[in-house]
Amino acid sequence: MELLNSIIEHINYIGAMALFVIGLYTVLTHSNLLKKVIGINIMETSIFLFFVSIGYVHDGSSPIINLGGGRVIYVNPLPSALILTGIVVAVSITAYSLSLIMKLYEVYGTMDLDEIMEIRSEATNE
Amino acid sequence: MDDLIVKTITRLIVPFIQLYGIFIILHGHISPGGGFSGGAILGSSIILFTLSYGLERASKKVPHKISAILESAGILWYIFIGLIGIALGGTFLANQDSGFFMGEAGRILSAGMIPLLTVAIGIKVASTMVTLFHTIIEED
Amino acid sequence: MNNIHFPVYTLLLLLATAVVIPIIGKESFSRLKTLMMVTLPASWLLSVMTFLKVNQEGGFVYNFGNWSEKIGIQFIIDEFSALMSLFILTVSFFVILYSLKDIEHEIDPDQFSGYYTLIFILLFSMVGITFSNDLFNMYVFMEILSLTSCSIISIKRKKDNYMAALRYLVLNTIGSLSVLLGMALLYMVTGHLNVTEAARNIAEIYQLYPTNLLLAVGFMVTGMGIKAAVFPLHIWLPDAHSSAPTPSSALLSGIVVKVYIFTIIKILFKLLGIDIVNSLGVPQYITYFAAVGMIMGSVFAIGQKDIKRMLAYSSVAQIGYIFLGLGLASEQGLSAALFHVIAHALMKSALFLSVGAIIYKTGKRDIRELNGIGYEMPITMTVFTVAAFGMIGIPGINGFMSKIYLSFAVLDADKPVFLVIILISSFLNAFYYLPIVISAFLRENKERKSIMALEKIPRGMLIPMVCFALASIIMGFYPQIVMDVIEKAVPTFFLMGN
Repeated sequence: MELLNSIIEHINYIGAMALFVIGLYTVLTHSNLLKKVIGINIMETSIFLFFVSIGYVHDGSSPIINLGGGRVIYVNPLPSALILTGIVVAVSITAYSLSLIMKLYEVYGTMDLDEIMEIRSEATNE
Repeated sequence: MDDLIVKTITRLIVPFIQLYGIFIILHGHISPGGGFSGGAILGSSIILFTLSYGLERASKKVPHKISAILESAGILWYIFIGLIGIALGGTFLANQDSGFFMGEAGRILSAGMIPLLTVAIGIKVASTMVTLFHTIIEED
Repeated sequence: MNNIHFPVYTLLLLLATAVVIPIIGKESFSRLKTLMMVTLPASWLLSVMTFLKVNQEGGFVYNFGNWSEKIGIQFIIDEFSALMSLFILTVSFFVILYSLKDIEHEIDPDQFSGYYTLIFILLFSMVGITFSNDLFNMYVFMEILSLTSCSIISIKRKKDNYMAALRYLVLNTIGSLSVLLGMALLYMVTGHLNVTEAARNIAEIYQLYPTNLLLAVGFMVTGMGIKAAVFPLHIWLPDAHSSAPTPSSALLSGIVVKVYIFTIIKILFKLLGIDIVNSLGVPQYITYFAAVGMIMGSVFAIGQKDIKRMLAYSSVAQIGYIFLGLGLASEQGLSAALFHVIAHALMKSALFLSVGAIIYKTGKRDIRELNGIGYEMPITMTVFTVAAFGMIGIPGINGFMSKIYLSFAVLDADKPVFLVIILISSFLNAFYYLPIVISAFLRENKERKSIMALEKIPRGMLIPMVCFALASIIMGFYPQIVMDVIEKAVPTFFLMGN
């Protein structure tokens, strides 16, 4: 029961770590380049989840200046602000890697890393 | 892409999306949102236009040159605002200490330089989104 | 003179140049050249003034927007970061001077403005990392750096470049994501992203949450290790550095990799402090990996036929030297590592630039085709020879001095095993550098007679090469010029222990 409680309490962290590992596994094992990019995106998302969970305060409200008074417990706004920057970075990395993959597809006619490697090794052997 | 329904809906909906984007940019300092979110919405309205009307008409509406200039202008404007902070005796990007008009919290005219910065970010993000999308589909 | 805003001006000048270039440089390359030759020396001068100020009056901190360091972003400008920013700008100034001529036959003319925009953003982010005292700010600069350094590879529109850039990008992103995860774990327990603030209560944290700290350090060091190409994580480096345009290779090998090393130094010694690092056992593992890298990098380099690829593998070995000095976790070790950072940047830039000149003139990249090239291009090959001797460790050139410093540091730390490894690695270096020098000067070329002739390389390419070679020799004879400054900078990392 205690174990179950602690799992429920820390479900964000567990989820983030699971996503991180899933993303890493996708990047490392799949030979399709698009799937690699998706894997990177999953890893990024997992860290964003982790970062935002750190800033969560139980029963806290969103940190918008409260003009009417009332609740004073806010969640920590800093991690969310940082993650906004992280998302920007993630967008640019995704855009850049997708354009690289498009170029590779133009040149090799495939998006599979293994096939590209085969074509390259044939080219050097000839 | 010669679908009448898509084209008509796009023509109807794009102004509203843009208005919403501008609203979010201008309210960046008093409500959730701000330069990045608003700029992304503005940029996505142009992307929607490109998708339904084709690249040719879209690049007539937002030429490549203009969006490139806007991109640079966004950053230069940001640097300029930051330097005002130094000129008025604070450090880079100093806000209240360098005597910007702070106003009353919750009003549009408040928070000193932050609305000016959000506008810069909004322009930059919107033009970057458009340039990114147009460049990627141009290569095809 | 007495202006604390100079570091910020340096950064802003680089950024503003980067964004102005695409507007004015699209039509004419000469206008772009004029702009760069104004702003780059200007930012260099600003960093010189910062350096002088710091050396006279000591370091200072700069809070952005007058926010306190607990909320806002902070720059720390101490002896270390002032020296390193000056070093980055100096090396890149000469490389950019070289690139103005060389780039014309490396990439398409309509890419010039894009290329220089990327180069300036690259410089901006590197200077930013060295100054930054905020973990997340460092991460953002690191991402900008990794994006731009991938793009200056893929801007040369060849098949190999796309593949190398994509591999670099994927591995780099994995690296920076693990760094970010480490930072998140650290932020979770310290509650600060500011390095100084976090370092203040790190000893207490180590008592309370040792697992969290260990995980954070592990993720951060591994992530940085991927980016800095420590031996088993170096697989992206040879492709990336060899297929890039020559100026990009010189920049990537000379300074970009070093910037990540600065960040590791900052995290290990500024944030965690020497005591905690030692009790976690991090330096020990770093030295093991460094030792393997020193040997294996050279062994791989011996097998290469493409000369640029060989230089790239040699970088892996040289990074091993730097990490060995870093892993000793003593003042002497760190000074030796920093000395080698500067020495290696000068030598490797000279090597890459001279090889670039050979490719520019003859188009030959294969080591076996270089017979008699010394008669065809005497100045270029002399530069190559000086730098290659430096890599091997011939006395009189800075590579020798850094090996001496490193050996003393190793003996001082009572680990004589590494002395043997340094010697073996030097021997292996000789094994692949000397044959090129010998075949260039002593073997006859079948196609043309070996008559000494002055080469027809543009002066803009020749001067930077010669400057790098001369700087290497000067640093070899008068190492104290650099060492004095480094010895002033290093103690700032060991204040924590006292």
